[in-house]
Amino acid sequence: MFKYSLLPLVSIFIFINHGLLAQKVNEFPKKTDPLYKKVEMFDRLMLGNHWNEGAIMQHVIFPPAGLEQPIIGSQADCLDPTSEMLAAYSHKYAITGDPKDRKIANDIFEAILKLEKVTGVDGLVARSFNRTNEPLWHEEVFWYHEWHQSSSMPGYRWLGDLSADKFTSIFYGVGTFWELCADDEYKKKAAGLLDRFIGRVVDNNFKLTDLDGKMTLWGNFCPNLPHQELNSLEMLAALKVTHHITGKERYNAAYHMLIDRYHYDDHQINSKILFPKEWRNVGDDYHAARSLYMIMRLETDPNLLNKYRMNLNRHWYDWKDIEFTWESNIWFLMVYKVLTGEDIFTELKKQGIKDMWGFERNTREFKIPQKDGSFKLVRSEEERTAAAMIRNYWFGRYYGIIDEKW
Amino acid sequence: MKSGLTLLTFFVHILYLTGQETPTPPEGMVYVPAGEFIMGSTYGDPDERPQQIASTKAYFIDKYEVSNTEFAKFDPTFKFPPEKKNNAAVVTWSKADAYAKWAGKRLPTEKEWEKAARGIDGRVFPWGDTYDNTYVVWDQKETRGTSIAKPASPYGCYDMAGGVWEWTSDWYKPYPGNEVPMEQYGETYKVMRGGSNFNNHSFIRTSQRYYVLPEKIHVYPVGIRCVKDID
Repeated sequence: MFKYSLLPLVSIFIFINHGLLAQKVNEFPKKTDPLYKKVEMFDRLMLGNHWNEGAIMQHVIFPPAGLEQPIIGSQADCLDPTSEMLAAYSHKYAITGDPKDRKIANDIFEAILKLEKVTGVDGLVARSFNRTNEPLWHEEVFWYHEWHQSSSMPGYRWLGDLSADKFTSIFYGVGTFWELCADDEYKKKAAGLLDRFIGRVVDNNFKLTDLDGKMTLWGNFCPNLPHQELNSLEMLAALKVTHHITGKERYNAAYHMLIDRYHYDDHQINSKILFPKEWRNVGDDYHAARSLYMIMRLETDPNLLNKYRMNLNRHWYDWKDIEFTWESNIWFLMVYKVLTGEDIFTELKKQGIKDMWGFERNTREFKIPQKDGSFKLVRSEEERTAAAMIRNYWFGRYYGIIDEKW
Repeated sequence: MKSGLTLLTFFVHILYLTGQETPTPPEGMVYVPAGEFIMGSTYGDPDERPQQIASTKAYFIDKYEVSNTEFAKFDPTFKFPPEKKNNAAVVTWSKADAYAKWAGKRLPTEKEWEKAARGIDGRVFPWGDTYDNTYVVWDQKETRGTSIAKPASPYGCYDMAGGVWEWTSDWYKPYPGNEVPMEQYGETYKVMRGGSNFNNHSFIRTSQRYYVLPEKIHVYPVGIRCVKDID
């Protein structure tokens, strides 16, 4: 039905906005292409189609459902692909030394700074932003209604209620950027951002608090409140990274206070829920893997390292048999190899890496809310993200897991 | 002599208490006696303060959240998947309020909700102060009352932590004596309680307050637990 009835609408849109559509990257790799070529092409798609002033969109809906916006889509998890691309370009720069790669990493980092600036509060980081004065349609139907008009950056709207997993994206992405890519100027900027961001959490008794002063829905690392074991790990990792990068003793003191007084080191061991089996959650494993990767390379106390290794071993119990159905699964195994040195990549697993894929471009109907309360069905194209695949590739290349000829 | 008097007083008190009739709750409800309890917290969000001694009259409260099937008896146009007959219904505040009135009940005040959830001793959760995933139902996607441990609140309610959030009749306002400003206070938002454990554990604490627009719940799963006055 829509195939024909929407044609005039699409034609009008192309006529008016051909400049926007001209920017759209449309070339996809073939499944049979070598890995390096697939990564190169998905990289072009991500930078061309998912770039939101340096922040990377997790989900893009193209016009006409994007209406007058060049890109639109779910934005609650944008810090995940943003940090993945920041880490990817940091690892890539560490290999190539190419200033163009460093420039892209700098631009992505600047977008994370903008996620802070748009809130108008030092250390309060938004989940995502859009340059618009008017609410966009997807604000009404995707995710919690936590959008705000920016007072510090007129003409922008931002999504609040940051969560523990996006907190992890920030210290992982910014920490990797500081470690491998940033020059002196950007090292200072990165340290400043983590100091304000993690400092604000520490000042609020280890809670992520929103603009309203309340703890966010997934922002609990507080020693006085019941919280997940995973959150204890994430908080310790964040403090370790921030102390390493800023050199400020307050973060080291907070790290040891949570361990000595509140036993976060013991609590974090059980981050992975193993039983009942149906409760195993690879989504949470992603945050654990990023935290363990950061903390285990910085911790030198053998007693604490043993406890983090116990955590990793509990994850490995599940990961050792995991199928490569999701790009992050592949990264778990890479992290395990980097942290333990164990040779775990069988030929089958290597083939799984070579077969990594980004996304397909799909077409579907979107139910777009109208101002009068009704809904309009619009058929449009959408893309998910390939950031995890690109990050995996450069991570694997950096650590010698992936051969450049693959 | 003094100890004999004390003993006599004690027995008289016991006889008096046992002589009081506890009203028989309507089907599917439990009895909450009149009296004081500890409300709020010293460790949660600023809006939970000050921790205080509050009191209520006696009332009955639903043992479980209202199910899809129960709500559909009130509103035959209410649609839900056939396999979710016994799951908690998710509705806006006005629909919850209308359902409660239709059932000859009403929505609980914040005080009534919190007392039913935590009893009188200020506990963090309906069962005590510790947490485990086996104690709670995983949001409205699961059937009511099917957590592994099946803990009851002190008065015999289930799923007051987790399951769906639950509507109260109250607007989101500061507790008396709370001077921490919040622009959301007033008569714009209604308070929901009990959390959906899709969110952090802390949101299923008995003293946790959360505000939401009454007719625009968006993706928050908010359901109903009614109270009934005792004549």
